[in-house]
Amino acid sequence: MARSKAYIASVGLTGIGDLWDKSLLDLAVEAARGAMKGSPRKKPDQIFVGNMFSALGASQEHLGAMTASALGMAGTPAVKVEAACSSGGSAFNVAYNLVRAGALDSALVIGVEKMRDLEPEEVSQALAMAESAEYTQFVGATFAALNGLLARYYMEELNVTRDELSAIPVIDHANAVTAAHAQFRKAITPEVVGRSQMIADPLRLFDCAPVGDGAAAALLVNDDAASGSKRKLAEVLGGKISTNEFSLYEREDMLDFKATRLAFKDALSMAGLSPGKMNFLEVHDAFSVVGALSLEAMGYSKRGNGSRDAKAGKYARGGELPINTFGGLKARGHPVGATGVYQIAEAYLQLTDQAGKNQIEGAEYAATQNVGGVDSTSAVHIFGRAA
Amino acid sequence: MSIQYWRIRDRYYRLIGSRCAACGAEFFPPVYKCKKCGSEDIKDKEMPKTGKIMTYTQLHEPLPGFEAQAPLYLAVIKLDNGARILSQIVDSPDESVKTGARVSATIRRVRVDGESGQIVYGYKFTVNPLLK
Amino acid sequence: MYLMQSKKRAAILGYGAYIPYYRLPTTEIARIWKGGGSGPNVEKAVAYMDEDTVTMAIEAARQAMKMAGIENLGAVFVGTESKPYAVKPTSTIVAQALGQHHTLAADLEFACKAGTEAMQVITGLVGSGMIEAGLAIGMDTAQGKPGDDLEYTAASGGAAFVIGNRNKDSVAEIDCSTSYVSDTGDFWRRAHERYPRHLSRFTGEPAYFHHIESSVKTLFKETGHKPSDFKYAVFHQPNPRFPVEVATRLGFTMEQIKTGLLNPMIGNTYAGSSPIGLAAVLDEASPGDKILLASFGSGAGSDAFCIDVLEGITRTRGINPTVKSMMERSTKIDYSTYSKFRDKLHR
Repeated sequence: MARSKAYIASVGLTGIGDLWDKSLLDLAVEAARGAMKGSPRKKPDQIFVGNMFSALGASQEHLGAMTASALGMAGTPAVKVEAACSSGGSAFNVAYNLVRAGALDSALVIGVEKMRDLEPEEVSQALAMAESAEYTQFVGATFAALNGLLARYYMEELNVTRDELSAIPVIDHANAVTAAHAQFRKAITPEVVGRSQMIADPLRLFDCAPVGDGAAAALLVNDDAASGSKRKLAEVLGGKISTNEFSLYEREDMLDFKATRLAFKDALSMAGLSPGKMNFLEVHDAFSVVGALSLEAMGYSKRGNGSRDAKAGKYARGGELPINTFGGLKARGHPVGATGVYQIAEAYLQLTDQAGKNQIEGAEYAATQNVGGVDSTSAVHIFGRAA
Repeated sequence: MSIQYWRIRDRYYRLIGSRCAACGAEFFPPVYKCKKCGSEDIKDKEMPKTGKIMTYTQLHEPLPGFEAQAPLYLAVIKLDNGARILSQIVDSPDESVKTGARVSATIRRVRVDGESGQIVYGYKFTVNPLLK
Repeated sequence: MYLMQSKKRAAILGYGAYIPYYRLPTTEIARIWKGGGSGPNVEKAVAYMDEDTVTMAIEAARQAMKMAGIENLGAVFVGTESKPYAVKPTSTIVAQALGQHHTLAADLEFACKAGTEAMQVITGLVGSGMIEAGLAIGMDTAQGKPGDDLEYTAASGGAAFVIGNRNKDSVAEIDCSTSYVSDTGDFWRRAHERYPRHLSRFTGEPAYFHHIESSVKTLFKETGHKPSDFKYAVFHQPNPRFPVEVATRLGFTMEQIKTGLLNPMIGNTYAGSSPIGLAAVLDEASPGDKILLASFGSGAGSDAFCIDVLEGITRTRGINPTVKSMMERSTKIDYSTYSKFRDKLHR
């Protein structure tokens, strides 16, 4: 039973890319300051840092205390939340639940990842830690390999073509052209995707989200903090984390993103809304096939039609249900632990009419979906304009 | 990290997975609780060494330590007892690696810790099993 | 006096072999190093980069155990000169893979006769009543220095034999054997060297021929057997020519040696060489056939065995892949691929 409503009062985000001159802490502080700017209170009640591999990437753990201290907030409770690529969304969910419950008046959620300090094969090793060390990493399978297996299975079982699979990356790139914080801001064609370098057959380079550095932060506040606020607010109407059988291959139906399906259903139920009410979605397309299966799991496309519907225009900017309004994981970027908070920050910008050239006019409601592993964790949140 | 692998060497060498004593379902890797009926009465069981490819991929950039094997075939294999296993496919001509192909297990060097570290042996599969 | 014959009768209860999938034509080696031509053998078997003596030994051992149909082994001995670890036994990994713990395990080294030595040791342990059954394996991933003549023949493969108390199901009895050794350094490898070295013409008469002729002639003298008593003869095969020559000298015919002569198509599998020749013979032999097995290991020595095929051999057909089918299961590679597989590229 919720004691309070929850709102996002402000966000901060860094550009995403190869940020050679900025450290993990530099990025976290930058995003955090962006979110705290204009806040009537100097400190949040608690800080949550979502991050996946600071240990391997920066020889650093204990990010909660470290970031609090750097922000001049020593004394503020702070923790790191890790759930692979859904660290950001999961951190937000923990904070959201505490604010709803009345345990916290405010919470600062920071998602941060520093990937570029590692060599590509080290990044690969770091990302592979989302999967079983003893049975998946052990056989040499990278995270891309698992998604390659999934992609082949998807295409063979449901007759999805190469051209159809390319549709979501194309939408992402088109949307990122006008997105200031996006990593890649150039439109592409399906041919570009289909001809790009093979990574894990059938997945090619342009089917895969890039490696990049970045941090995003969101300041959550409760009713008291929100009332009388001069700041633009977006309401968090619902949010849920769900998990799936850990390894893709141990699932009864490998094409059922059960975690996303259940998290979305529960989040909507909390919000008291039907799926049709969403005006746009921020979908976790770490790989083109994951984007497609996420849309199917959320019920927006029938089984096998996720990419097909994207190709037909359903999910494009001007379509029935725009997705990835600032470029999604493929073009906006995917600094893994930060992504979930980027999605949330983008939803906030849309719902407070601050999305500039990327604005979805009149958007009332949105869902963000952030996945860890191959849908082993899914953190889904529903947002709406503040009354 | 060799102790982490030493601990489960029988699983690696002999494909010892789990059998649910309640419903008979079998799993590899091993489970703590039956994925089918939820029973916690789980016993070790050696898996059959043959099965077929459910799906596969050819990985051009394998994990560190496996670079020499690129491009590397990986497959989700459905063993003859219904258990599913993720493994490399080796010694198999390209045209033979396809969904539905029958495969059989072999034991190979899976990980080698450089020139002076330990060798971890484990399962891999071939589409080209020894002929009778 | 020089005959080794166990009091309790010991027999082969099961056997298995392993030859890797890849073949390097010797024309490829000659192309790179000599500008053309070929080696004495046509092709040699090459292990993939994820194979070694341990993996191949386990594959062959599993087949041998399947045929033998027994649960427990009292000893596991692996004869090889390409142990993956200089210190850490191959045999304990084989034992673990077979689920055997209450067992004597050791690795033996005596160049190309380490496999047959393992057979003698296991026969002794069985024959003395110390164990019920044991596993003897001869297996190698032989390496030759790039450009050296040995590179033509140095190959990967071998065989495994479960030897136990003779019973009505046994495949073949190990009747007796002799061994002859001397300090003769025809081929050697110092402790930290990567590749062996060898003398050239010296590896013939004073080494291969002297030791095999000595062990076999001693066997004939001690047992009263003559060449015509044997249906098959298997000799160590460092190249296609030596085994034919020694067979002729000892009074054997091509007909007797051809089934076990695999060198032309798979090369010299070192400690696996005469063992795998024996496996090839067992694939085709009939009850009542007598087999002469004579190995040669550089350093140097030869073990000669008299093996009698039993009724039990008829039930073994179809249990395991035949050596012939393993020879056919192959694909050719080029020299650069071989260099990568056998880790000969300096990185």
